[in-house]
Amino acid sequence: MSNTGTYEKPGLLGTFGRDGLMQIILIANTIVMLFPIIIMVMSGFKSNVEIFQSPFSIPDFTDISNFVAMATQTSFLRYLMNSFIVTGASILLLLTLGTMAAYAIARYDFFGSSFILLFFMAGLMVPLKLAIIPLFILFRDLGILNSHWALISVYTAMGLPSTVFIMTGFIRTLPRELEDAARMDGASELRIMWSVMIPLCRPALVIAGIYNLVPIWNDFFFPLVFIQDDALKTLPQGMTTFIGEFSTNWGVMFAGLTLAAAPITILYIVLSKQFINGMTAGAVK
Amino acid sequence: MDAPDTTEAPTQKSRLPRLRMSGRGMWITFLLVPPLAVMALFVIYPIVSALAYAFYDWQGLRRGEFVGFANFSKVLFDEPFATTTWNAFKNNVFVFFALMIIQNGLGFILAYALWRDLPGARFHRIAVFLPVVLSTVIIGYVWKLFFHPIFGAVNQLLRSVGLDVFAGPWLGDPDTALNALIFVNAWAWVGFPTLVFLAGLQRIPSEILDAARMETDSELLLIRKIIWPLIAPSATVCFILLFIGSFNWFELPYIMVGLDGSPFGTTDVLGLYFYRTAFGNQSAGIQDFGMGSALAVLMFLFIAVVATVWTIYLRRREIEV
Amino acid sequence: MKKTFKLLTLGLAATAIAAPAVAQDLSFWSWRQEDRAVYEDLIAAFEAANPGITVEFEAFEASSYATILSTALAGESGPDMMMVRAYGAFEAVAGADYLMPITQDDVPGLASMNETALLAQTLREDGEIYGVPFASQTMLVIYNKGIYDQLGLSEPDTWDELLANAQAIEDAGMFAFANGTATAWQNETIVSALGSSTIGQDFFREVVAGTTDFTDPRFVAGLEKVQEISAYFPDGFTGLDYASSQQLFVSGLAAMFAGGSFEIANFRNQNPDLEIGVFAAPGPSADDAKLVGVFFDGGYAGNASTEHAEAVKKFLAYTATTEFGQVFANELRNITPIQGVTLTDDLLNEVAQLNQSAVPYIMLTNFRYEEPSGSVLLQAEVQKMLAGETTPQDAAQAVTDGIATYYAPFQD
Repeated sequence: MSNTGTYEKPGLLGTFGRDGLMQIILIANTIVMLFPIIIMVMSGFKSNVEIFQSPFSIPDFTDISNFVAMATQTSFLRYLMNSFIVTGASILLLLTLGTMAAYAIARYDFFGSSFILLFFMAGLMVPLKLAIIPLFILFRDLGILNSHWALISVYTAMGLPSTVFIMTGFIRTLPRELEDAARMDGASELRIMWSVMIPLCRPALVIAGIYNLVPIWNDFFFPLVFIQDDALKTLPQGMTTFIGEFSTNWGVMFAGLTLAAAPITILYIVLSKQFINGMTAGAVK
Repeated sequence: MDAPDTTEAPTQKSRLPRLRMSGRGMWITFLLVPPLAVMALFVIYPIVSALAYAFYDWQGLRRGEFVGFANFSKVLFDEPFATTTWNAFKNNVFVFFALMIIQNGLGFILAYALWRDLPGARFHRIAVFLPVVLSTVIIGYVWKLFFHPIFGAVNQLLRSVGLDVFAGPWLGDPDTALNALIFVNAWAWVGFPTLVFLAGLQRIPSEILDAARMETDSELLLIRKIIWPLIAPSATVCFILLFIGSFNWFELPYIMVGLDGSPFGTTDVLGLYFYRTAFGNQSAGIQDFGMGSALAVLMFLFIAVVATVWTIYLRRREIEV
Repeated sequence: MKKTFKLLTLGLAATAIAAPAVAQDLSFWSWRQEDRAVYEDLIAAFEAANPGITVEFEAFEASSYATILSTALAGESGPDMMMVRAYGAFEAVAGADYLMPITQDDVPGLASMNETALLAQTLREDGEIYGVPFASQTMLVIYNKGIYDQLGLSEPDTWDELLANAQAIEDAGMFAFANGTATAWQNETIVSALGSSTIGQDFFREVVAGTTDFTDPRFVAGLEKVQEISAYFPDGFTGLDYASSQQLFVSGLAAMFAGGSFEIANFRNQNPDLEIGVFAAPGPSADDAKLVGVFFDGGYAGNASTEHAEAVKKFLAYTATTEFGQVFANELRNITPIQGVTLTDDLLNEVAQLNQSAVPYIMLTNFRYEEPSGSVLLQAEVQKMLAGETTPQDAAQAVTDGIATYYAPFQD
């Protein structure tokens, strides 16, 4: 668990000195990390004059006019809704498809299974951004340019490799006995997968879901190219619109940025452990 | 293949295994085809097409004639495109090395500090990772406002502590603009290498450390000889992901300095140049899918080749330990 | 299959023309979302005068309009009528045969429009007009009348007077100019707004004719003036982006804004109390013509493959009438090329007066057809020059060299 207190001999700074230095570094870093975010939130409660004259003062937190302006005079809520729809649909699809592929690869021996896994792995390395032009033309031909389907398709495809990677690794570790027992009882393969195996996969599904949730929720590049209709924009892209509308009113801009940051920040604080595990999942395997 | 057999009664024992096999084959096919189809349609096909598109002349969205390597030579050797390309590439390289030192370097130090499990470590861990979950758009806009030459928080802070001489037009000065972007990127992402390194550190068996600490009292030596080699897999991941990220850099400069890589190309990177070429900007008025695709292909090849070779090298290093 | 379909649609179109009582629904695309209400009024008036034709106005976001339109046209799902941009961006659409050529017979209003306006909607390769030009924009100096009055300043007659005004404003503790150079395209508007009179009409005539290039001493002199006056831009102006510049002017912290006439409506919206005046930045001597830079925004065009060609022509003809121009100019506060329109807005009237002695907004009107566009080059070089990283001479040389890569007259 803890490695502190196991030192037999003091180092350069002495044990206490070193830990003190480390603590100072951590505190300094945390201040640098949080200070800008705190300023952003506080500025959301200020007027232009207040921001320009006393940028670091504590504002009157009861004055929420900037937030009201953001919520009522812009399409903020619509963008938020669109983000929920697109992210939700993409995560659902990529978990479903990814688990299907991973299940086949991990639970059955068949010719070419390792090749298929490799195929998905290769997808991990492909920066799909660079294929934006063909995707643009493909979506135009499919008639889904400027629709949520364009985003859902590309996010699902982007998330599949990591999902297959995480899920295959996990499903391989599941014991064979349960499955065999169910098979003895005459359960169909579908039934075994659905009622026996999938429930066991829940922790891995959460990891894979979070791993993909953050980049999809935050993606700016694909909507920038694929979505033109204001009513269909997701939050990151919609943000550029409302920031543009209020470009001379810093208070409202900061309020908008604060509101935009709120959903994922709250989710992160509540589920910080799962977030950290999830987002570094691909990396520490 | 053995479809007629499936109609036979399943009670015949000899038939059972084969029947199961074919049923299972269909089941596996059912599981694999949809995900593979999605990959083929939305990943493989576009990537392969991007390669093909680069060899054609384009008028808007209409593909013209086959022009061989003309688009590539234009991007790489014809002025003024070549200057732009190499300038952007040079900036990408700079960004990568700077972030290797700042982002990954600081990430390691923070990971080491967090690993000591000092009081408040949990809180520090949550704080350092918070910007990682935020959208680049939010981060870009917030910092753009902070860097405002007159009203920005950065200059206000400097002035309030008497450091007026350092207050400047951060994003407008050719000497500081790219550095400012690099700083913001490091601020936003340092949590990622921190936690990847931390995960690596936490997996080091304590017996090894205890044994090593008997041998030396120099923590620096310990880090260099024992700890660093043991977390080599974490380092590989951080290095490679940073490499890919640095050469795909787009969102942050797009939000903070605009498509042109203001001021006058000092913050221009390949991602911006690619987007500008393929989708145009107001001042260019023209979009050129041919040249854009050529750029994309070159970027893709560069990233793929370097990342692969480097990964192999780093992995070998891991094994040697 | 396709042929029969075409025949069928032709047949349908023919019956539609023969019997105007049959409804003809025209779609009309625009990038002016904010102008919807006015357009709908204009359309209602048109529909009342032309029973049987209905027009549906659809507006898209300006920044992505070009992509939407070219995508739709390429996919044969384009509108019957549309707003198109001018110059290079116009050619990208018109040059691909998507637009219907129009003549004075179709649109009588074209006859009275001046040549610069028509040029903006003329395809260079065939000399045909494909759009009814609708609005011009002017590069000039917009100033805060309140500050000018308070300091007892008047509109400058010479360059030195402009400098003296700027100094007086700074001495009073305000920013003389709100301008910043962090947003690339602002550099181009700044040069046109401040440098045109120094550069002079002759240079523009010659550079368009191809008899001189941008290394011409007259153009370099213009850049030098811009560099000189940038001393009166806010501290750290190289880091000041477009929105921040607007903000400085709107909030009354800065007295002048070198930019486009399209700012006026926006400034008034943001701060209705602001008293705004305009002038053309003067040349070195009071005798120099005071010039503004002018370009046309775009035009109304018909789809070459529309099923309702006659109805489209009727509507296009309508957009060139005085009746249309009157509403367009006064409701949307634009300057129209249509003759005989009286402007109720004093400030717009003033801008229209300034337009009488104008030079083209040169990089857009003449050098935005190929890569690298003159605009991209000029913007980057001026940005560099104002940051003190290059000289006016070298900037002019770099712009010329860049254009020379594809423009023959600059190649020797």
